[in-house]
Amino acid sequence: MSADMTPPSRWSRLRDFFFRPSTMSVTAVVGIGMLSGLLLWSGFNTGMDATNTLGFCVSCHEMRDTVLQEYKETVHYKNRSGVRAACADCHVPKDWAHKFLRKIQASSELYGKFVTASIDTPEKFEDKRMEMAQRVWATMKANDSQECRNCHSWEAMDPHKQTTRARKKMEPAQKEGKTCIDCHKGIAHLLPSEYTEDEE
Amino acid sequence: MTTLLPTGLPASLLAATVLLAAAGPAQAADAEAAQALARRSNCMKCHAVDKVKDAKPWREVAKELKGKPDAQERLTKHITTGPKVKLEDGSEEVHPIIKTKNADEIRNLVDWILSL
Repeated sequence: MSADMTPPSRWSRLRDFFFRPSTMSVTAVVGIGMLSGLLLWSGFNTGMDATNTLGFCVSCHEMRDTVLQEYKETVHYKNRSGVRAACADCHVPKDWAHKFLRKIQASSELYGKFVTASIDTPEKFEDKRMEMAQRVWATMKANDSQECRNCHSWEAMDPHKQTTRARKKMEPAQKEGKTCIDCHKGIAHLLPSEYTEDEE
Repeated sequence: MTTLLPTGLPASLLAATVLLAAAGPAQAADAEAAQALARRSNCMKCHAVDKVKDAKPWREVAKELKGKPDAQERLTKHITTGPKVKLEDGSEEVHPIIKTKNADEIRNLVDWILSL
């Protein structure tokens, strides 16, 4: 069998680089692999966290012109102690797995934005407000208001620093094992007009 | 010659009175819009129309302000400026501010409450 005398093409050299055994040392290959993995993983997570910023959320006018304006009037935006809870603090889980799942779910929001334009006018937004609110309340109820509890906790609450009315409501709520969202609806955005307070 | 009724009053006066009574207030409050604003602003957390919750029922508020010339102004100020209010147990709290800056919507809600 005669040796192939034609010089290797650009593409076969590329193929060989990726799919034939390396002439580099194991140390070099593993080292490069680890560095690339590190860069890819941190890049991915940095990108994912960038979609958690308030700026990203309100880059859609559907959010900027509605819920952002409402939120800015509330205590979670501006308060005495200067602690702010922005969009992701309440709407995106903090642990990686649930955060990632929420991001996959967010593709339906992109669909609503770019394909169906389901809430792109104030009127359409108001029509869907109740539906969207109920979906968020259900999510929060299902995880025992986890996003609230990332900052607020029964143990860290001092009932003596609460108003009498608050204490009167919070003490039985704690005893009955209620979850935050059971009562604390409409704290960052307007309640839907159809919402009725349950008579207890 | 003016038509006179048995009482001696002109018939035209009777006609005018009947018409005025039938017309009702010049601009009746839009109850549905008022209630929608109240729900949106979470007023129902403490207030009801008749029931006593954490705060006075609105029918009682209307009764207290009935006939007062500055009723509308007082109630508007109350819901737009966040004054301190005293609760039944003597404690004080800041009254929440209505969640709209639209003067017409506020006036409509105030008128509706006062009409209860």
